[in-house]
Amino acid sequence: MKSILKNFAVLLVSLQAMLIGSLAFAQSGTGGGVYEADLQGYWYNPLYEDNRDRGEGPYIGDYLGLPLNEAAIQAAEAWDPTILSLEERQCNDYAADYAAHSIGNQAIWKEVDPFTNETIAWRLRLSWMGGQRTIWMDGRPHPPEGAPHTWLGFSTGEWVGPTLVVTTTHLKNTWLRRNGVPRSDKAYVVQYFTRLGNLLTIVDHIYDPIYLTEPLVRSSDYIFDPAGKMGTFICETVEEAPRDLGVVPHYLPGENPSLTEFYEVFDLPIELMKNGAEMLYPEYLNKLEAMRND
Amino acid sequence: MRNLHSFRSHLISACLLVFLPAMLLAQLPQDEPDLRSAREMAPVDLTGTWVSVITEDWRYRMVTPPAGELHGLPLTPLAEDVMNAWDPDVDEAEDLACKGYAAPNLMRLPGRARISWENESTLEIEYDHGEQTRLLHFDGIPPADTERSWQGYSVAQWERQTTLARGIGFFGVGGGLGDLLGPLEITTTHLREGYLRKNGVPFSEGAVLKEYIVWRQDTVTGADWFSLISTVEDPVYLRGLYIRSSEFRKEADDSMWSPRPCSVR
Repeated sequence: MKSILKNFAVLLVSLQAMLIGSLAFAQSGTGGGVYEADLQGYWYNPLYEDNRDRGEGPYIGDYLGLPLNEAAIQAAEAWDPTILSLEERQCNDYAADYAAHSIGNQAIWKEVDPFTNETIAWRLRLSWMGGQRTIWMDGRPHPPEGAPHTWLGFSTGEWVGPTLVVTTTHLKNTWLRRNGVPRSDKAYVVQYFTRLGNLLTIVDHIYDPIYLTEPLVRSSDYIFDPAGKMGTFICETVEEAPRDLGVVPHYLPGENPSLTEFYEVFDLPIELMKNGAEMLYPEYLNKLEAMRND
Repeated sequence: MRNLHSFRSHLISACLLVFLPAMLLAQLPQDEPDLRSAREMAPVDLTGTWVSVITEDWRYRMVTPPAGELHGLPLTPLAEDVMNAWDPDVDEAEDLACKGYAAPNLMRLPGRARISWENESTLEIEYDHGEQTRLLHFDGIPPADTERSWQGYSVAQWERQTTLARGIGFFGVGGGLGDLLGPLEITTTHLREGYLRKNGVPFSEGAVLKEYIVWRQDTVTGADWFSLISTVEDPVYLRGLYIRSSEFRKEADDSMWSPRPCSVR
């Protein structure tokens, strides 16, 4: 009888502890745990911002709105778009940071621990090139510095208020804009995913000690598409142009013939090409007016 | 017999222990209205001066684009006709230079936002570019006699992120993660007809502007930022929801505040 009583008491005390925990939480008002929004679903990318850059493609020489240093501008000027016709580059994936601000839609789902129901990871599938990202939520550390770099890098996340904050390292070098503006493999990225009803906004903070004078901050908006479905993306390489083995298309300094076209078409001062971060701020309007009046 | 008596005592004590809190909870007012003012409820202090950082759509924001340029806009055919007929000289002559500085486009323009509480339930956003002022009212719907204006009438609320599974039940534990006062949600109506872009891309008086201010701290530099996520619905000129997000960084002071009037150029 004593044993039954003891077990019963233990059971009741356990239940009591659970109930008190629930009560304490329910009264806290601001949450006793970490708020986790549901990011799952298919997200349509309407491309309302930077539409030309992300869609049909930017002009060569268009560096507007990017806090570039001199090395970045030099590298961009050397870029020849026919480099993309090299067989080994035709199926290059989009990097995690560029992918968010590119053309594709995204499917997002989460992987949960079947016992605790805690989120282990968020998975993101990109419609362009079909790359799949994993954002680890289980507290694992980033790999050591010497670990391999990939297009999608290594990502970990944590919830801060209603926002999933994702840090990505170990990225391969790529472009910031699809006209050869470079982003180095020393860069790392912090992304802020916020869902608001049927909208998802991803804000990128890109830190690149090699090519940027300050973090590049840009955002991309997606619309929830309950009927959306990810298709199959197959990329096969073909020989697009006959070329001697080992030739890498590029321009030597001062030889790129396409750099000024953008500024001529839109009647913009050519000085804009070299003005870097200062052009991001309202006071630049004064300088711009002076240049246009000259 | 003593065992039975002891069992009864334990049972009564245990039941009280378990169910008393539940009984107490039943007495507590559930979902009682929050009587704090909007200012007191603010989950973050948005006051101060914020600079827009123009990294996207630079050519449409820092410069007035050429007439007829409509990349990235879900316009109806009627809107395209109106846009193609845009004449800045006419706007200037008719004292309509601020058409491109109405609420749906104001904070897309390069400028600084100075945010302060006008009173306990009204947040004021002054914008130096265009010298416009927006008032965000936390205390209800627009008055019946509200006139149309460039900045319209804005109703605001701190959005509550909540979960229905705030379970008190034993097995609801783990489902309930409580409430979170999240982004600032703003709905603006009573707008005067204006432009979504300065090159004459129109929105009508029937447009509804819905915005969210979502704040964050840069995990690397420590700088405070907010995104202004803006959606426009317009039955006349838009084929669907038009979404943009603009980035603002907090400044230490307002020494860079630089008012400039509306301009059609």
